[in-house]
Amino acid sequence: MLGSMLIVFGAFALIFLGVVGFDLIKAKANGTQYNMRTSFVAYGLLIPAVILGFIFVLLPIIYSLGYAFTDYDFFDPEGMTFVWFDQFKLIFEEFARKGDIFLSLINTLKFVVVVVPLQIGLALALALFVNNERKCVGLFKVCFFAPVAISLAVTSYLWKSIMSPSETGLMNLILGVFNIPPQSYIEDVNNAMYWIAILSAWQGCGYQMLIFLSGLSNVRKELYEAASLDGAGSFRQFLHITIPGLRSISVYVIITVFIGACRVMIQPYLMSGYYSHTMTLSLYMYTYGTRYHLVGYSSAVALLMTIVIGLITYLQRRFLTEKD
Amino acid sequence: MRKVFKSILAICLVVVMLGAFAGCGDSSGGPNSPTIKVAFHVDKKSKEGIAYSRRVDAFNLAYKSQGIEIQASYIARSADAAGYEDKLLTQKSSGTLPDIITFDAPNCASYARSKILYDVTNLVSSDVKNDFITVNEYNGKLYGLPIQESSAGFFYNKKIFRDAGVDVSQYTVENPWTFAQFKDVCERIKSHCPTYAVDMQLKNTNSEMATYLLYPLIYAAGGQFLSEDGRTATGYYDSAATKNGFNFIKDLHTLGYTGYDIGDTDFYTGKVGMYLSSGWTIPELDSRDYAPFQSRDDWGLLPYPKDVTRASATGSWSYGVTDNGRTDKTNVIKVLEFLCSKESSEVVTNATGMISALKSVNKNYAVGSPEDILLKQLSTTGKARPVTIGYTAFSTQFGRTIREMKDSNDINTVISNRTSGLQSDLNMIK
Repeated sequence: MLGSMLIVFGAFALIFLGVVGFDLIKAKANGTQYNMRTSFVAYGLLIPAVILGFIFVLLPIIYSLGYAFTDYDFFDPEGMTFVWFDQFKLIFEEFARKGDIFLSLINTLKFVVVVVPLQIGLALALALFVNNERKCVGLFKVCFFAPVAISLAVTSYLWKSIMSPSETGLMNLILGVFNIPPQSYIEDVNNAMYWIAILSAWQGCGYQMLIFLSGLSNVRKELYEAASLDGAGSFRQFLHITIPGLRSISVYVIITVFIGACRVMIQPYLMSGYYSHTMTLSLYMYTYGTRYHLVGYSSAVALLMTIVIGLITYLQRRFLTEKD
Repeated sequence: MRKVFKSILAICLVVVMLGAFAGCGDSSGGPNSPTIKVAFHVDKKSKEGIAYSRRVDAFNLAYKSQGIEIQASYIARSADAAGYEDKLLTQKSSGTLPDIITFDAPNCASYARSKILYDVTNLVSSDVKNDFITVNEYNGKLYGLPIQESSAGFFYNKKIFRDAGVDVSQYTVENPWTFAQFKDVCERIKSHCPTYAVDMQLKNTNSEMATYLLYPLIYAAGGQFLSEDGRTATGYYDSAATKNGFNFIKDLHTLGYTGYDIGDTDFYTGKVGMYLSSGWTIPELDSRDYAPFQSRDDWGLLPYPKDVTRASATGSWSYGVTDNGRTDKTNVIKVLEFLCSKESSEVVTNATGMISALKSVNKNYAVGSPEDILLKQLSTTGKARPVTIGYTAFSTQFGRTIREMKDSNDINTVISNRTSGLQSDLNMIK
């Protein structure tokens, strides 16, 4: 283990030194103002960040990539063998028999389909709301952004308590005032993922609101004034000025929200657990990797997920950019 | 001057960084150091943790002259003990496993297979081993000695039973109630309970709790979970008898006797008539912190019901010596035997309310007392959870079976899905 880590580190160090050397030589050849000492200091200052990035980001990715082609079991690391594509075959077999990975894909899709439009829609609505000059707009911004600053674990437990299926749960108490019977919320096997999507949208929309706000500040005011003079109402202004003005920023928002939604794990894990109705792809991967210690299988799932999400993101980017 | 200052600053930074890296390492000496490291699975400030630390202090005092010392670490575990296990696995990977660890009995097989645990068959004397009610064995080899023993049963609120006119005095460990009689009692006390007749702890399917408390009911129905070698679920987990056991639990929910939404303190506050729990509930009820239970006259304990056979829960946490590279285990065994001694057992069980794992510890409990019922049940009907290297997968699938039965009227489909899931999980483990 340590030996292979040193080999990877050595290879990385060589690449890094090669890049540094190439950069220095190129700078000298181009005749740019060149100061060897300053360059060394600059690269020296980069080294701690590069080492930390290597250890905590790059190394796990490289290892995970490698483990996907092994039968690595954390309980039996000495017995690890190279199995080529056996883990992927296993994944497809599980999928074919409609096992947990199939259910987790369905649940993830349910979540993505709801959370992406809901979160982006909410974020846009909030951004439009706080973009107007009105009283206490700063306070509104803080309130809307506050859930983003709170840990997902905290909000998950909070909502679990609020949406308790018992009669004493806060939501059911409120419903009780209007003589509406208690609801099951997260305990409802058919709708659990939708409830999780709603609270996730609430938690995350504040961040996208800020991005939309920065986009709105770039839309020229004169366009609205001109449209107003031409008799365009608020809705038409929104449709023909605001939306086109936010298109490029929306591509970024859609892609990042989509990727985040595909990786949902903490909310279903903490609010429900490893059950058929709330299992997601990330939770499935986590369970097999850390609970069952089947690192090889879990890494193969991670690799497949990365490929699929990457592919969809590429298509999204291409499709939306063409429109632009 | 400025150059000198810069040089000093640079040297200081290097020293701090080296110090930080050194701090990550092991500072207690070589593989055969006289310092014996022990990892406990509880918070040091808990009742159980305080008991362990008292025994550690006692050892260090007693063996000071011999230069042997225990260095204890307390790693509070999460509900599914995953955090504690992750820590052990990480320590194994980095070669820094403590000399002795505590582990939950069902994990013995996987820990032995992964060489976390060391085979102590020839290191522990037969006198010591024979004094234990049960020991942790895998493939005929000894891997662990229990800290304490556990058994569970149905704690009941005597006032509710009196109000309902239900007499359960005839139900003993030797002559327990049947599944039908259990349902009959539930039916009769149901209207006298503000919420449910019995808390079966069905909501605790995310942790080991539900598995630990409910698996005996499946055995009592004549069911099985896995084959002898712990590798096959098909044909066992989905057998007709196993389904009958799960059906019994499902019926209790369908008939409204129990629920998945019972609060943690509903029994203690008198909202529920019965409560399926382990020995650790005894000190809770004895604490007189709850209005309905001001003395032992207010509550009682009933054994597990039987169907085609009798079965009750067993298995608790144990001590195990690790395979951490220490070649001379003499001092480790000294520590192990000290922690498993009669005195240690008494200190720990007094704190936890559990049964001592040692036969030699005085257990002259009053006949019919809750402790007496648990001890008798343990020695006559105690049946361990399945021994399998895929225990975590089994426990997870068991919890899911209980949870998924809640929303499905077709219990056969639930069990069939969980059986295929468990079989698939077991197949993945080499």
